[in-house]
Amino acid sequence: MLKKIMRPVALLLVVSFCLLNFNVPNAQAKMVGTDAVIAGQQAADQRAQVADFMAREDVKQIMTQYGVDPVEAQLRVDSLSNEELANLANSIDQLPAGGSAVGVIVGAALLVFIILLITDLVGLTHVFPFVNSQK
Amino acid sequence: MSSPLLIPRNRRKQGIYLSQVGNRLIAGLLFFTLSMVPAGCSFTPTGHFSQPPGIPAKAMVENVPFYAQDELQCGPASLAMALNWSGVDVKPSDLSPEVFTPGLKGSLQNSLIGSTRRHGRVAYPISGAGPLMTEISAGHPVIVLVNLAFSWYPQWHYAVVIGYDQVEEEIILHSGLTEAEVVSFWTFNNIWKRGDYWGLLVLPPNQLPALAEENKWIASVAGLEKTGQWEAAATGYATALERWNQSFIAWMGLGNSKYNLKELDSSADAFSRASQLQPENGLAYNNLANVLAEQGKLEEALTAAQRAVDLGGPFQDTFRQTLAEIKRMKKNKVE
Repeated sequence: MLKKIMRPVALLLVVSFCLLNFNVPNAQAKMVGTDAVIAGQQAADQRAQVADFMAREDVKQIMTQYGVDPVEAQLRVDSLSNEELANLANSIDQLPAGGSAVGVIVGAALLVFIILLITDLVGLTHVFPFVNSQK
Repeated sequence: MSSPLLIPRNRRKQGIYLSQVGNRLIAGLLFFTLSMVPAGCSFTPTGHFSQPPGIPAKAMVENVPFYAQDELQCGPASLAMALNWSGVDVKPSDLSPEVFTPGLKGSLQNSLIGSTRRHGRVAYPISGAGPLMTEISAGHPVIVLVNLAFSWYPQWHYAVVIGYDQVEEEIILHSGLTEAEVVSFWTFNNIWKRGDYWGLLVLPPNQLPALAEENKWIASVAGLEKTGQWEAAATGYATALERWNQSFIAWMGLGNSKYNLKELDSSADAFSRASQLQPENGLAYNNLANVLAEQGKLEEALTAAQRAVDLGGPFQDTFRQTLAEIKRMKKNKVE
């Protein structure tokens, strides 16, 4: 039974991998896009194109792992220039993700709470909206 | 056991021990806080916020609506405020799928930039207090990334700066649950510094920033092409050309945008202008050749394509493809 399914599945995989290769950007385009005009030499380099394609796949995959819908992840990746994307691919884990919450401090330890309360009063930080430093 | 008078001996000891820890904790905290203050933080709040020349002492951007954020959703809320101001009718909940990343419990800066483009607006990053206040005084609200706490306990947060007051030394911003919150220069500098002084303008493509830089504006407009916003991109390039009419890249961008809008005459005009500005660059001739071919002007197309190939350069493979394609079209036409 399994053997019977294997063949068509393998075939399907081969075909889809072949299709994947056709997605390498600008491989067939005869018009030079504005982003390539800006990037100049770099954009013309075939290896750079492949690297960009790989970076896009990487970021898309990471985004999906982080709970972003795959279709949406593709749209997000598409909306960025090669340069912006390379930056993202290299350091997505270290980049700041703004998401400060209203009740952000609830889970924090008491020690952290006290430190931040004091630093808020001094005006070094601004975690609690109810603290208004008089600096 | 429950009576306070009957505390067993060992518990009493523990109590004393705990109070000692308490004292040490407070002493430690005081020392910690005091040692923190001089470290890189100037006590003169105006250091980073000295008034740039030529702007008023106070300014406020009107017409920036306020959306109170939902849990973790300061990114979508801030972007919705800026987009609404720029004339795009969206709610934070519409933007959440575009910018919020659940696994990171927040929104990345690049996601805000990408989402701005998807709504046909130019995302233009700025940095520092001078540009911030200059843009505010020009009537442009600024999304800022701040770290409300410390690098070892980051509380990343987006807010929208809508005003400043040099006299009172205050920044006014829509933030979290607070509409038009007033924060001192001192505090704002502390939290914004930890966000690397990152700010973002969300502009209609026909409106340049107050401190517009040619290449930066054009690169920001080129981002619109990535999302297929060709109409907005064309407007952005045209706006650039009103100020910098010798910009090769802006003419190229206009040509590409018009081509994608199927306005072939305007596209050919733009590429011609670009080729006049840089006659030694094959790029304009290559794109012009493609447009001319699509218009059925094969003879002119062939000349332009040949010119591009003769000039060569990093894109010569593409130029050769263009030439080959036009030769093929010509041959087909003859047959």
